[in-house]
Amino acid sequence: MKNPLRKRHLRELRTDAGKYIVIFIILVMSISFVSGFLVADGSMIRAYDESFEKYNIEDGKFTAEHRLNRSQKREIEAWGVQLYDLFYHDADLTNGSTLRIFAERTEVDRVCLMEGDMPQSAGEIAVDRMYADNNSLKPGDAVSDGSHEWVISGLVALSDYSTMFSDNTDTMFDATTFGVGVVTADGFADIPGEPVRCYAWKYLQTPADEQQEHDLSEDFMAYLNDRIVLKNYLPRYANQAIVFTGDDMGSDRAMMEVLLYIIIVIVAFVFAVTMTNTITKEATVIGTLRASGFSRNELIRHYMTMPVIVTLISAVIGNILGYTVMKNLCAAMYYNSYSLPTYVTIWSPEAFVKTTIIPIIIMTVVNWLILYRSLSLRPLQFLRHDLSRRKKKRAVRLPHGLPFMQRFRIRIITQNLANYLTLFAGILFANILLLFGFGLPMILEDYQNSLSDNMLSNYQYILSIPSDISDEDHRLESLVSGMKFLSDVETDNPDAEKFSAYNLMTVAEDDIRSEEIMLYGISPDSRYVHASFGPEDAYISQSLADKYDLEPGDVLRLKEKYKKDTYEVRITGVYSYEAALCVFMDRTRLNKMFDLGEETFAGYFSDTEITDIAEDHIGTQIDYQSLTKVSRQLDLSMGSMMDLVYAFAVVIFFVLMYLMTKTIIEKNAQSISMIKILGYSPGEISRLYIVVTFLAVIAFMLLSMPIVTRAIIFLYKYMILREMTGWIPIHLKPGLYVKMFVLGLLTYTLVAVLEYRRIRKVPMSEALKNVE
Amino acid sequence: MLTLKGIEKSFGEGAGRVTVLKNINMEIRDGSFCVLLGPSGSGKSTLLNIIGGIDTCDAGEIAIDGRAMSDMSEKELTRYRRRHLGYIFQMYNLIPNLTVRENIEVGAYLSDHPLDLDELLSTLGLAEHQDKLPNQLSGGQQQRTSIGRAVIKNPDILLCDEPTGALDYQTSKDILKLIETVNQKYGNTVIMVTHNNAIKDMADEVVMLHDGRIRDVIHNRVKTAAEDLEW
Repeated sequence: MKNPLRKRHLRELRTDAGKYIVIFIILVMSISFVSGFLVADGSMIRAYDESFEKYNIEDGKFTAEHRLNRSQKREIEAWGVQLYDLFYHDADLTNGSTLRIFAERTEVDRVCLMEGDMPQSAGEIAVDRMYADNNSLKPGDAVSDGSHEWVISGLVALSDYSTMFSDNTDTMFDATTFGVGVVTADGFADIPGEPVRCYAWKYLQTPADEQQEHDLSEDFMAYLNDRIVLKNYLPRYANQAIVFTGDDMGSDRAMMEVLLYIIIVIVAFVFAVTMTNTITKEATVIGTLRASGFSRNELIRHYMTMPVIVTLISAVIGNILGYTVMKNLCAAMYYNSYSLPTYVTIWSPEAFVKTTIIPIIIMTVVNWLILYRSLSLRPLQFLRHDLSRRKKKRAVRLPHGLPFMQRFRIRIITQNLANYLTLFAGILFANILLLFGFGLPMILEDYQNSLSDNMLSNYQYILSIPSDISDEDHRLESLVSGMKFLSDVETDNPDAEKFSAYNLMTVAEDDIRSEEIMLYGISPDSRYVHASFGPEDAYISQSLADKYDLEPGDVLRLKEKYKKDTYEVRITGVYSYEAALCVFMDRTRLNKMFDLGEETFAGYFSDTEITDIAEDHIGTQIDYQSLTKVSRQLDLSMGSMMDLVYAFAVVIFFVLMYLMTKTIIEKNAQSISMIKILGYSPGEISRLYIVVTFLAVIAFMLLSMPIVTRAIIFLYKYMILREMTGWIPIHLKPGLYVKMFVLGLLTYTLVAVLEYRRIRKVPMSEALKNVE
Repeated sequence: MLTLKGIEKSFGEGAGRVTVLKNINMEIRDGSFCVLLGPSGSGKSTLLNIIGGIDTCDAGEIAIDGRAMSDMSEKELTRYRRRHLGYIFQMYNLIPNLTVRENIEVGAYLSDHPLDLDELLSTLGLAEHQDKLPNQLSGGQQQRTSIGRAVIKNPDILLCDEPTGALDYQTSKDILKLIETVNQKYGNTVIMVTHNNAIKDMADEVVMLHDGRIRDVIHNRVKTAAEDLEW
């Protein structure tokens, strides 16, 4: 015979529909989102990984000073590579962006057509999908560089530009002001001016591992240097436009999973608290069942069934939504950041385990533990309603001077401590989400606004030193080249001020990324860096101090990129500069430290544009646009997610407040009924039961603010340290807290209205009924 | 045969310690109707709970068919209650969202050989109410349901703790008649706690308790039918 108690489940579902519906919604929302995210992430990673073979992505590229002739190509290919032309023009378009235009590729770095058609005639162009989205361009639109116009025939993804790094030395990509496109061979030939002589290569024998790839690349570079004048050399593993996406994708998974599990645990506690109340309500029934021979495990199973079934159904529906609606939403988030090719959804067993099996396990374990404890009392204790574990339950003494209503409210709080603790945990969690949802866009906006006042100079030019200057084998030539270079990069701009610079990397620890730190050597009495540096002084920028928790007296350990040499810099001060992670010191000291030569310099600070140095000699130009790339990109890629986070926080807020208030009122239905009989009006009763929760909500909101702030700063740092280079200072304005507070109160007001109706509905006969 | 030897039970500690059962010795034959009679505080409910395995004694021994309950683990006690006991309380303790029929089925689920449900429903006079929820029933009907729940598993011993304590005169008599019928029809041992002196006349054996001790044991040679009881 099947256990007849099972018939209660469906009835309980009907009578307590409100509770189950909200819990169901919250579970479906979180499971579908995480499932969608994991599926999209997994499918995208697969598509990205497969794209290397599918689109025959290069093993590297180099730019030659001059076009290679056939015999040079043959000689280079004899080394063991296949070369491909990858010429391009950088066109400055009238919309303010730069479009890198390639001729159609058929052999290497092939193109994935996402929408429309590939260009058929010379006047047509297929542009990167994300660049088009960011600039509101669609097939049929025209783009122009002032002298030449192209009609967009289609939207594409270039396999070697999944991330829009215009220059590999850029700290962040920017798919609004930089994009790529392909035209027909004829169309390419029509573009005036010399194209950039870029060549892609593929090794004839694929390297076995990263180390071998690295070694091969070093050897190949040396081989090339002996034969041609190299302007740029970039192996695939160092090409951010190709590898950044792969590095970045998958890094949000852990955070998403943690988010889901926190929600599941909160929901499990909500179930547990409501169940504990049910057990209190049904104590005598439980006592009778136990006395009749029902075992504790049978009852635990009975009370656990609904939470587990609701979780299971939510997981199934959540997964269905995850694979359909949410997957597309999450994929869109990736497409907002990266120019990925089309993908095929793949079934993810990992997503299934993480969004179905683990939530059910969490729900089962939390509920089992609480039920095991609650039901461990003896049958007689249930029959006598003696559910307290403490031997003598004493009432908390309250001062008689306190007004009666206040004492009554305090009693409600002490009676429902578990409910209020769960509510507090929920408010904490929801506030973390809210602060994140509200805070991040504001942080980015503030950063962009404050940056213009915080730049060292309006322009910073970092010179590009030709590789032949340091050719040990041809000392005379390199000396001549060096002198020519030095005279070429002199400027007459009176605002220009020389500085030395050297790039080092932070030392990677655990899963914290290594990143580039620029060491500036500042000229004495600098106009742009207002500090006087003693021979031993080294100031770090405020952002470097904030990101790595450094302060004067600490030692900063840095290392050479691709080498094992490490340097230790003792920090003597923090310079108020938030735009980049860098170290400032005296120019002489820096030059000495890295054997650069006394008069060597790396670039110029200037408040006005320097126009008398050839563009070829300028490696990087740091201006407002380049410094805000990180924040603009974050804004773009996370903007849509912030709305989700924000909506989610409000839902969690509402659900928890609703459930906890509802449980408190249900638990006290008999008392409410009794005081109704005594003559209290529903308004007065609401002032007791609803106001007390209202006060608790206010207290919890206030109490949660400092905790939430610390949590957010911790999470933010954690995220930035592991997932991003650079730093955006986190300043949480008081207005944010006011916004959160008001939102919390508004949500509770809505709950209060619902609960007022519930109080009105409690019948007076409730108090007169016996246990049934 | 249920045997109790030297049962002692106290509550509280130190100066506040109260001994509620003092050296209780008795035997209850299979199939007999035994009434534990005594005023409030005489220890009769405590004794019933100890027999039912939902409370423990400080000293002494209870054996059912020679098997000592003190040797039983918690699990074995649960099994003992499941197989051998049926409980009826003053409060009916029905499951509010199960119908009459389903509440009785809860008892049937615990037994490998339950009685026929439909027959029991008509014996209990609940056939026409079987699909109602407890809150649609009168107190008497609810108590009948709780009797049905206890009886359906055909327990060896039916423990009744003041089953008529919350009922009016006529309903009480109806309930007593029903328990009498069950005892006669199914042959269960019935142990009933009551403070109603009149009920003793329907029992085979009456154990009179006072201040935790057995004051007297009466064997009724002639029993009065529940129908004829007056109080």
